[in-house]
Amino acid sequence: MALNNITLGQYYPADSVVHRMDPRVKILLLVAIIVAVFLAGNLLAFAPIILFLVIVTKLSKVPVRMMVKGLKPLRLILILTFILNLFFLQGETVLLDLGFAQIKRESLILAVHYSLRLILLVLFSSLLTLTTPPITLTDGLERLLSPLRVIHFPAHEMAMMMSIALRFIPTLMEEADKIMKAQTARGADFESGNLIARAKAMVPLLVPLFVSAFRRAGDLAMAMEARCYHGGEGRTRLRVLKCERRDYIACAVVALLIAAVVLTGKLY
Amino acid sequence: MQVTLEQVTHTYQEGSPFQAVAIRDVSLTIREGEFLALIGHTGCGKSTLAQHINGLLKPTSGRVLLDGQDIHQKGFDKREVRRKVGLVFQYPEHQLFEETVAKDVGFGPKNLGLSDAEIKERVAEALRKVGLDEPGFTEKSPFELSGGQMRRVAMAGVLAMRPQILVLDEPAAGLDPQSREDMLQLISGLHQQGSTVVMISHSMDDVARFATRAVVMEHGTIAMEGTPQEIFRQAERLEQMGLDVPSVCKLGMKLREMGLNCPEDIFREEQALPALLALWKEGKCHGA
Repeated sequence: MALNNITLGQYYPADSVVHRMDPRVKILLLVAIIVAVFLAGNLLAFAPIILFLVIVTKLSKVPVRMMVKGLKPLRLILILTFILNLFFLQGETVLLDLGFAQIKRESLILAVHYSLRLILLVLFSSLLTLTTPPITLTDGLERLLSPLRVIHFPAHEMAMMMSIALRFIPTLMEEADKIMKAQTARGADFESGNLIARAKAMVPLLVPLFVSAFRRAGDLAMAMEARCYHGGEGRTRLRVLKCERRDYIACAVVALLIAAVVLTGKLY
Repeated sequence: MQVTLEQVTHTYQEGSPFQAVAIRDVSLTIREGEFLALIGHTGCGKSTLAQHINGLLKPTSGRVLLDGQDIHQKGFDKREVRRKVGLVFQYPEHQLFEETVAKDVGFGPKNLGLSDAEIKERVAEALRKVGLDEPGFTEKSPFELSGGQMRRVAMAGVLAMRPQILVLDEPAAGLDPQSREDMLQLISGLHQQGSTVVMISHSMDDVARFATRAVVMEHGTIAMEGTPQEIFRQAERLEQMGLDVPSVCKLGMKLREMGLNCPEDIFREEQALPALLALWKEGKCHGA
């Protein structure tokens, strides 16, 4: 289980109003919020968005620590964005003269603006994945994409593939861990050596992993066929997605949020 | 050479919401030359315990000693432990990866940095031990073998390291009866040739047949420990834990329930016949 710290579809189980929301609504609202983040014309316009984020996070019962963890892989991009914008944007009012470069008021504001935008995008997206189990998420996506069937987009097949992939990530991870241990027990070394030596050391791990993945895929296909699976046509579902009052309320709140963002942008 | 576990506790994913204590405060010495059986429910911590014996897992607290030396202390070469303690995982055939049997079996020795000649010798020796020494076999692909053969090749891969202690996690699981018997005979043979064997098993009949000592685990701790005789005498306790007892024990219990005077400490097949004969004679006397 040493590999288990790789979080993917990092669902945080809890019982909250955000968790119970319809995944379709959550996905659509995320898109709306992203639009709102881009609509924010100045720093003040971020205030209602941040307030909204704080309230939703509170409602979702997801610990702040888990939210911030989502930013970690992006810290390099964040820092780069900030620094590049800070030094290379044009401006007039010099705030600080470092000799080799100047920090100007306008560029500082823009650097903060762009970084904030990025942070908010990531935080809202992780809020979606933290409060929605991966399978529910793919369910929601399938329903949202199903109108595209008219142009022969395989919405059901896509969603099924995603569900299967997500379902098997932990299984394969466990398998990889086991094989890694078995080879370590035979003296294999996965950690030291240069890049080429390390890539070579992966062969005893990857070959058995692929063999088992193919075997699993074969078994799964057989099992699905044995239960008369024949694609999405006419398939009913166990959990029917239904919009409820909380979903409509959420939509209204986000609509108000967008209005507030646009207004503060205009007024300032 | 002996391995000692001193109050070993292992917690998976410590500090996360998914943290789980797999074994708690386990102390156990694996004595040289013994055949130790590890018994217990799925999820009782047997496999976790097994992975501590060769240092694959590090105890959350407690120590693992190899001949009195802490294997996790700084400066201790873990390869030393891996060489001396061979671990055969459950379904070891899933770890085969090379193009030929010879290369796969030779993977361990190669990692030990041995010469080509020595590797070849060890491969031949290991394959002979597992009974796969027909000519031309070494050049086959491990993926074209039967399930039982694959398992034996995987085991040869561990034996080629010449371990002094062999730890096996359910070596007979999922094999057909003949391959199963072959595998058990093979392990028993290795034990008789002087290897120390630790075997995780769900089959009490196998434990009764081969083990010199047995450890029963429950909820991550050692619940019972002793010779098979001492363990199987407490058949009721095993059944309370939801574990099986050897078929001979079951037969004995049935006979006692029927009011027959069957001795309590028989658990092996070869002990059953004399006991049954004695009962039969007794019955004839009473009848007469």
